[in-house]
Order: sequence, then C-alpha cells, then structure tokens
Amino acid sequence: MIQDTPTAPLVIADRLGRNYPTRQGLLGQKHDVWAVRDVSLSIAKGETVGIVGESGCGKSTLGRMMLGLETPSTGSVSFDGRDLSTLGGAERRQLSRRMQMVFQDPFGSLDPRRSVGAQIADGLKTHKIVPASEVKAEVARLLEQVGLPASAAQRRPHEFSGGQRQRIAVARALSTRPDFIVADEPVSALDVSIQAQVVNLLMDLRRDLDLAMLFISHDLHVVRHLCTRIAVMYLGRIVEEGPAEQVFGSPAHPYTRALLAATPSLHPKPADDTGRILKGELPSPASPPSGCAFRTRCPLAEDACAAAVPALDPVGTGWRAACIKAGRVNAEDAA
Amino acid sequence: MLRYIALRSLVALFLVWVVVTVVFLLLHLIPGDPAELLLSTGNIAADPAAVAALREKMGLNEPLWQQYISHMAGVLSGDLGASFRDGASVIEQIALRLPRTLEVILAAALIATGIGVPLGTFAAIRADGKADAAISFFASAALSTPVFVVGSVVILIFAQQLKILPAGGFVDFSEDPVEHLKLLLLPAGTVALALLAVIIRMSRASVLEVLQRDYVRTARAKGLSRGPILRRHVVRNALIPVLTVLGLEMGTLIGGTVLVEFVFNWPGLSGYLVSAVDARDYPEVVGIVMTISVLFVFLNLVVDVVNALFDPRISLVTS
Amino acid sequence: MSRATRRLILPGAIAAVIVALVLLAPVLPLDDVRGMDIPHRFAPPSAAHWLGQDEFGRDVLARLIWGGRASLFIAFGSALAAAVIGTTLGLLGGYFRGVVELLTVRAAEIILCLPPLLLALLVVTILGAGTWPLILALTILYTPNYARVVYAATQQVRGLDFVTAQRAMGTHPLVILIRTILPNVLPPLLVQASLVVASAMVIESGLSFLGLGVVPPTPSWGLMIRAARGAMEVAPLLLVWPSLALAGTILTFNLLCDRLQSALDPRSVTAGGALWLRPRARSASKPATRPAASEEAPLLEIEGLSIAVNDLELVRRVTLSVRPGETMALVGESGSGKTLTGLALTGLLPDTLRVTGGTALYTPREGAPIDLAQLDEEAFRALRGTEISMVFQDAAAALNPVLRIGDQVAEAIRVHHALDGAAMQARVVELLRHVGIPDPERRARAYPHELSGGQRQRAMIAVAIANNPRLLIADEPTTALDPTIQAQILQLFAQLKRDTPGMGMIFVTHDLAVVAEIADRVTVMYAGEVVEEGPVTEVFARPRHPYTAALIASVPEGGAERLVAIPGAVPSPHKMPSGCRFAPRCTHAKPVCTQSAPRRSHPSDTRLTRCFRWEEVT
Repeated sequence: MIQDTPTAPLVIADRLGRNYPTRQGLLGQKHDVWAVRDVSLSIAKGETVGIVGESGCGKSTLGRMMLGLETPSTGSVSFDGRDLSTLGGAERRQLSRRMQMVFQDPFGSLDPRRSVGAQIADGLKTHKIVPASEVKAEVARLLEQVGLPASAAQRRPHEFSGGQRQRIAVARALSTRPDFIVADEPVSALDVSIQAQVVNLLMDLRRDLDLAMLFISHDLHVVRHLCTRIAVMYLGRIVEEGPAEQVFGSPAHPYTRALLAATPSLHPKPADDTGRILKGELPSPASPPSGCAFRTRCPLAEDACAAAVPALDPVGTGWRAACIKAGRVNAEDAA
Repeated sequence: MLRYIALRSLVALFLVWVVVTVVFLLLHLIPGDPAELLLSTGNIAADPAAVAALREKMGLNEPLWQQYISHMAGVLSGDLGASFRDGASVIEQIALRLPRTLEVILAAALIATGIGVPLGTFAAIRADGKADAAISFFASAALSTPVFVVGSVVILIFAQQLKILPAGGFVDFSEDPVEHLKLLLLPAGTVALALLAVIIRMSRASVLEVLQRDYVRTARAKGLSRGPILRRHVVRNALIPVLTVLGLEMGTLIGGTVLVEFVFNWPGLSGYLVSAVDARDYPEVVGIVMTISVLFVFLNLVVDVVNALFDPRISLVTS
Repeated sequence: MSRATRRLILPGAIAAVIVALVLLAPVLPLDDVRGMDIPHRFAPPSAAHWLGQDEFGRDVLARLIWGGRASLFIAFGSALAAAVIGTTLGLLGGYFRGVVELLTVRAAEIILCLPPLLLALLVVTILGAGTWPLILALTILYTPNYARVVYAATQQVRGLDFVTAQRAMGTHPLVILIRTILPNVLPPLLVQASLVVASAMVIESGLSFLGLGVVPPTPSWGLMIRAARGAMEVAPLLLVWPSLALAGTILTFNLLCDRLQSALDPRSVTAGGALWLRPRARSASKPATRPAASEEAPLLEIEGLSIAVNDLELVRRVTLSVRPGETMALVGESGSGKTLTGLALTGLLPDTLRVTGGTALYTPREGAPIDLAQLDEEAFRALRGTEISMVFQDAAAALNPVLRIGDQVAEAIRVHHALDGAAMQARVVELLRHVGIPDPERRARAYPHELSGGQRQRAMIAVAIANNPRLLIADEPTTALDPTIQAQILQLFAQLKRDTPGMGMIFVTHDLAVVAEIADRVTVMYAGEVVEEGPVTEVFARPRHPYTAALIASVPEGGAERLVAIPGAVPSPHKMPSGCRFAPRCTHAKPVCTQSAPRRSHPSDTRLTRCFRWEEVT
C-alpha cells in the first residue's frame, strides 16, 4: 500500500484522521468536523515530502499529528518502528529528541523574553546532547551552521530580522540532532529575497544531515523546488501523492491541475487558459460533499463521483491519485 | 437566537442554584446559634429551655438536608419564609426595598451613560490633548475615590455648607414627589460619579481602538464625511464593550450600594442585608442574597443578549 | 527612556513615598495613636499637631500614617495571597484545559457570581471583624480575578509557536509552565496586581467605615472618616484629611497601574486618536500647474514624492505615472514604501506620517489637474470613491463587522448619488452581481463574517467601484487568499479592466508572478525608493537594475538547482546606507555606489532605472 522507497520509511502515518467535533448551535447535536481523514503517508531518511493544499485542507494538523503534538482520532503514527500512541509521557518526550518542528511565523516561534542562545540550549540540556561544559560551544556551532555569528547567542529575538529569526528557529530544531523535521510554512511569512536564503539552507541541511523532512506549504513553486515527493490535500484527504516531477509535471488529479493553473507565474499562460480557473469555493469541512469532496468544483465531475469516496489508487510507480477519472485526465493531457 | 437565550438562561438558573446553596451552607455551618443570638439581650445569657423551644420552632433541629429541602421547596414556590426577628414576610420586605435600590442604580446609570459616552468619545478624538488629559484625570480621580468618601464630602458641601439639599433620608414618591427626587439626587449622583469614571475610560479606550480599525479607513476611502463615520462606524462598534461594562457594573452595584444607602440613610435592599447578616436572620439573608444574585445573573444574561443583538458575529462565535 | 516609562516616574515616586511612610511609622517621631487629650479635642492644626486633633484629642497625622499602615498591609497582603493562588489556578487551568480547567478557573469563577462587596460582607460577618478576616475575605474575592487574567493570558501564550516548540522539544510540562509561560503572562499579572491593591483598599476602607473591618482603637482611614462624619459640623477638616489620604493613595495606585500597562504593552496604547476627525484650519491648496501638455495626458503623475514620520524619510522622491486604462504594478518587499505611496494618494496615511515633498498631479473628469500632495481631508473627501478608490488587503478587517454587506455598498453609493430605497437596492444587487457574488439579493443582507474570504474581497471591490472611480488603487488585494481564490479575484480585476477601459489601476503587491499576470507596467521599489520602471514584459525579460534581476532570480520557478538569494536584509529606515540603498546587498557594487545616490537613467523611452552600473551589469 505504501510506495517502495530505497530505504525503509522512518515515519509512517497509517490511515490518520483528526476530528474536531463542534456543536451546531448551543443545544444542537455534536457535529463531526474532520480536519484530516484517512491519510497514509511515509517518509524515509533523506527524503523531503511536500504537503500542498489550500487553507483548511488539514495540512498543518497532519504535520502536528506526525510529530505527536496532536493526538489522532483514528489511525496511528509510527516513528522508527514505534507507535507514538503507545508511548508514555516520559518516553514520548525522550523520543521527541529525534523529531523537531520549524514554524511559519518567525515572530511567534521564538520566546521574546529569553536570549536566542538560551532557547537553543534548551534542547541540548533537556536531552543532554553534550556535557554542560560544552553547551556554549555547541550553541555557537549550531548558529554558524545556519549562517549566523556565534555572538547572536546573547541577543534577544527582537534584534533579528524575519529571515534571521527563521534561521534561529532552524538552529533550535537542529540542536537535538533530529532525524525528522516538520517544517510548517517556514518561508511563507518571509520576503521573496529572504525566502530563497531559507530554502537554500533547508536544502543544504537535508543533503548534509540526511534528514527526513515534511515540508508544508501553499506555495507550489517552493515545494516543487525543494521536495522529492509531493502530496496534494483537499478537504482533509490526500487526493494525489507521488514523485515531484510526476505530480507537478503531469498531474493525475483535476484538483492538482487546477491548483497549478491557479498559481500565478512569471511567465503567464495565454489568456484562453483562464477557463481552467476553478469556480466556487472550498466547501465547509463540517458538511463535505458526498463521494469525492472535490466534485462540486471539478470540471470533470459526473454522477458517479458522488457515489463513493474515490480510493487513492496507483497511477504509476510510487504515484497515487484519488480520482475515478484519473486515467482519462492524463489521456486528455496527452491529446 | 432563541436557542442562545434559552441555553444562557439555563446556565443562569444553575448559577443561581449554586449561589443559593453556597449561602445556605455557609450560614448553617458557621459557629453561632441564631436562636441563642435572638433571645440573648446584652451580656445576659438566654434561658436554655427557651432557646431549645425556639430552635424547634425554627426547624433548626432537623437534619441539615431536610432543612435544605424544605428551604428549596419554599424558594421554588415563591415563599422565602418569615423573618426570625419580627416574623415579617421576607418576600414582602424585599418587594418593598428592592425598587428603592434599583431606582438609585438606574438613575445613576442614566446620568453616567448620558454624560460618560460623549465625554469619553470626545476625549478619544482629542487623544493626548489638553481636554483629553483633563477628562482622563477626572475619570481616574472619580474612580479612585470610594463612594462613602464622595457621599460624605457631598453631604459636607451640599447639606452642611451650602444647605441646598437634604443630607439623607427617604420619602415615598407618592407622598411628596419633589422631596423624593431631592433626596434621590445625592445618592444617585454619588453612585453616578463612580459609574461615570468607568464609562468615560471605557468609551475612550473603545473609541480609540475602533478608530484604528481598517473599516474606519474604508469608510473614509468611500468619501463619507466625519458625522456618518463617527455615528455608523465608530460609535456603533465602540458602544458594544461599553454596554457590556455598564451591565456588569450595574450588576455589581445591586449588592454594592450598601455604603451609599448607609451614608444617605436610604432604606434600600443593601442596608436590609447588613442588618440581617448582623442578626443571623437566615430567611432574610438567604432571600436577599438570592434576589441579588438572580438580578446579577439575569443582568449578565441581558448584557449578553443585547451584545448579540448589537454584534452579529456573536451568534456565530458561540455555535 | 521612552515616554511611557517616564510617565511611570511620578506615580511610582508617590507610591514609594507612601509605602516608605507607613513602613517607617514605628521609627518616625509620631505621637501615640491612642494618646487621648480630651481638653484639646477638635483642636485645629498647630505646630505640635500638624493636622490637628480628633474627637478624643488624638494626633491626626500619627493616626493617618498608622491608619495607612493597616490599610496597605491588608491590601498588599490580600493582593499577594490572591496573586499566588490565582496565578497557580490560572496557569494550570489555562495550560492543561479540560478537567483541570473546570476544577481551577471555573470553580473560582463561581465567586464572581456574587457582587464583591456583598461577598466581603458575608465573609467578614461570618468570621467577625478584624485584620486577618479582612485579608481572608479579600483574598477569596480577588483570587478569581487573577485566575481569569492569567488563564486568558496563558491560553493566548500556550497557542504560540514558541510554546509548541518547547513541547516538540520534549520539555516537561511543568518546566514549560514556569520557564516559558509564566514570564510571558507577567505583564498582565503586574497590571492586575496594582489594580487589586487599589480595589482592595476601597473595599477595606468601606468595610471599616461600616464598622465591619478594622477594629478600633486600631486606626484606619475608613474608621476615621466614619468618626469624622459625626463631627462634621464642628470640625469639617477631620473629614478632609483621611478622605484625601484614601483617595490620593488609591489614585496613585490606579495611575501606576494605567501607566504600567502602557509601558509594558506598547501595542495597547493607540496613540494620537485621529487627526482627520479634528477640523483644522489649513491654507487653501495651491492651483496645480502642469508642464506643457503631452499628447496623452496621464491620469496620475507623481514626481519626487516623499513621505516621512517626524524627520525619518520612509518614502523618498518617488516617481510614478498611470495613464487611463493602464494597470501599473507597484512591487517591492516589506518596508519598500509601496503601501504608503498608495495610501498617500487617497490621503489615508496614518496620522504620524505626512507627505514632505513632491507633487502628485491627478487629472479629474472635469477641471484642472489637482496636486494630491497638497490636499486636506475635506478636498480628498470629494475625490474619494468617485475619482480615486481603494481596495484593501484584508477584507475581513476592512469591512465593518456589524453592518450588512448591502448597507456598506449602499453607503458608498449614497455619498455621491441620491438614490431612493428600491433604486438603491437594485443598484447594490447589480454591483454585487457584477463582482461575481452568487445570489446577490440574499448576500446583500449578509454580514461580512457570513461570507467566505473570496466573497468578502469581492464585496470590498464592489464598494471600491460603486462610484465608477477613474483610478483604482488595490493594496495587496489577493495576498491573504488561497491560490484558487486568488486566481478568481485576479480574473475579476482583469474583467473590470475590460469593462471600464478608461480606468487606471495601481496594483500594489509583493508577488512578482501576480505582476506578470495582471499589470501592463511595473514600478519596482526598494527601501523607499523607485529603482526601476517599465513595461512588465520588458522588465521581466531584461531587468535593468540588479535588485530587480536578483528578485526575479530568487523566485523558485524554472529549473535552477540553487536559488539566487539576496544576502542580508532590507535596511531599516533608521540606518539607511548612504549612496545607493541596495549597494550593501548588491553583488555588483563598486565604491562609487556607496558615495552618492544614483540618478535616474533611461535605457529606452519607456524604461527607467536608478543604478550607476546598469549598462555594464544588466
């Protein structure tokens, strides 16, 4: 069911789901709102998997569940063969050394009241990565690794620019020498010229440290540039997943195609292409359409789409799509 | 909307029940025998036999849970019992005195809102200017002066020195309307001053905040002139938190006019409570506390509902 | 030292003096507070008794200071006790939520169902009067206040990424609470504490005044006022001293609290109010003069426009022009001054900013060109909506949450057109349909929060085009939207351009790809200056400024293995480099670049660049 990768997967999500039940009205029935539904995904060492999708598609929730920061309602996450849900508090904290997170907002991800060095040192001390006497040197080494001077350790976060803060956040994530990093929109809040600095840094780290990375973003260009594999999410489910070149080069799912068409480009498509722009808006996760959730906006939708949720079936080697017309889409493209 | 009100009412009822129960338990679990207290005069101990008889008559010998059940049954049927002290019906006493307290509070709220909202808005528009500094300092000073100090000082000024208003007391409106209003003026004004301070500060802060909002900029971008922007966009949005605070403050005042009633000899509900607590008159205390907390909780409910009417977002937030 | 901090000095110093006086009471040369002197009762102030003597001939000054000692001891004691208990409850409840929250914060809040004075009265009556019962009563009273404040702050902080980062790092929850959350909830806690001290003094003195607080003969301000009331006719001053002491002390703590709040949380202070609301006398704007008329009159021609806050220039000598029917993209990173330039054209700059130089000639439908840089609020108002209109970035914030969408559109129409009910309704619906809002009759009655993000932005656009403006300024109108919705809105803008051929548009954005999709010409800004300008296709095909070139190369489109990152960061307005502002980050910089600012060069008739070395390096 899970694609073949050269090495055994480090992190495996198996049929993950997260429900946030809400009440409709105050006395109303409890209503299921699935942020993530039935997601299976695996990530191997040295691999960067990109998750793309629009706001509310569940990509952040998925990332947090894969780190164990959020408890799944259904399914399970296993890390290096150990099921996260079976671990107790202390064991879980122990394991967290090997999995870290980088956040979107460079202004919210650092504690404004503590020095940068102290925050990087937290991980070193909690997990006793280096002897107490070497903590200072290790902090300096980490800062240099992300391209900042060692003197940055004494300063407070507010003295740094957005891009520098994001590097500090990366240094903090690296402090515990993790095997797996979840980066949740790490460049979205940055200016274009700074984005490139951080993207390059992440690429270097992946190469040098052989990290497994889950890269969450709504920016298709960045994802395509950085990731080896890509998963496209719509309304809590993965609709297409596979190698980056295939998924973005010859997308099998109509939503992936629409997303690519909607993304502005330095080299705009001819005007007649505007017909590909999706109509309508994202349905509410509280009342998703029956069958395929995308059918209400899909240009190819037919009656059969409402019948059942389409399975995520293989359309190529290590490439899956959840669309009953996936094959035909490709045929049309080729024509 | 109706659902919202219904659920809020249920929560409110639950809170009232909690309060009544807590007060009941507090009064029954504390040391001090009311029968003994009632029968003793000065330092002479009461006759033990008489105390026992009275305890029997007041039902104090029954187990606590039985007393509680009969008490709650009474409450539900609208009977708050009779005073230990003089046998008067508690509910009648409350019905007599509550309107007097409410009268002071309502008069104060009217005065304070009428003056406070325009003053606060003006201060916000002139923020950091001299007028703002003066208004803000006045508000801080008014907020910092306890009501009994204000009350005592206004009596000193208006009754003692200028002799233009009576120092205190109460005359029924039906007997002498003019004298009634004259007597109302000082206590209501005293309460209003404290409330005024709160409303000025709140309106100022609220207007200042709304002025920074993007939709005020949008209103300007439309080409609207000052008047409509202020009325439709600024004040309307700024009033929401002011109303909330006003409601909460009035709730606090229902039990908080003790000092004003004491200073001006105003025979309202709060003064009644003080003497009842002093005499350990259970039926009276429980009855008054229950009345006050019902009003308090009910007022909070009204505030929420009024807010929901003013602010269309609220019904969504709670769903 | 900031102004907010300076304003702390006065109340801080007075509070310190008050605290010092009551602390030093035992060692000060004060009279015995119980020493009666009946023959001299009600004696006026004298050399021996500075504030006079009371009804038993006791020294008023000594009683005042000792009375303050009792009041402050009770107030501080209960504030501290309540702070410790309430903070603990609030932290635990706010961090762990669920059952813990129910047992801590929600339980404490039951106390808030009783009016505070009533509760204090109950406790004191039950336990009897005296200092310790008072402290207990006030502690019970204020614990839920702290619990609430800390709970709210904890909830806020707990959701922040740096707390999640600690969790992800495997830090023990209790360590997170103490090391990360507690320091971040301290500011509201401090403010709450000084508020509680003031409030506790009010209640303590009130109870003492009723005879239910401090027990005589211990002196207390409440008791002194109570006693003085009886002797009001004989010695009115006796009422004045304790009243002044009490109100003054409470005022000091309240002021301290206010100013502490503004010093600790600068964001909470919205400075300045709104200058545009104040009628201002202003010299009539000078009639604008236009250089010899060109064949095609531009709709807007900005020349040398500068915008400054105090003496700090944020936008310097910007040049820009828009012809009728043309879409000009104003592109730049944060801090480039692109949004400020747009706001200045409608007179909507924040109060602290002002236009300090240059001209912005706008050609209205009728009449002579107007210099927008000279207009006052009144004159701008006549232009807004009908001549120049704006679409803002965050439609959720830019629409009034308590007014219906239809009313907000109608309001815009009404400024310039007198339409009656039915006609107005029809026009509103037509506009909403025009911007692509489905079911416009029904949506006109909706509130902004009931619409999706895309629909809100469409409604915002309807408001902006309600009076057929000739110049539409769109400030990052698609930035907050999802890709598929952004594509829809861009399509809507393209359609508007087709439908109103005479309308000029300034499209402010940071996204180069959006520029390529929507604009005819582009003006690139960096650090408050225009660095390059020209037709979009030409500029993107061959940028003539190193910054534009680097910006295009840093977009992860195309197959480059490694992105071109511009080193460093945008300079802050306080530390602008001399010479070319981009020089410190420019890979082509030479010594000449840092010596003086480059002049405008024109690589072709339609192009502009501001670089010394454009001929060599681009």
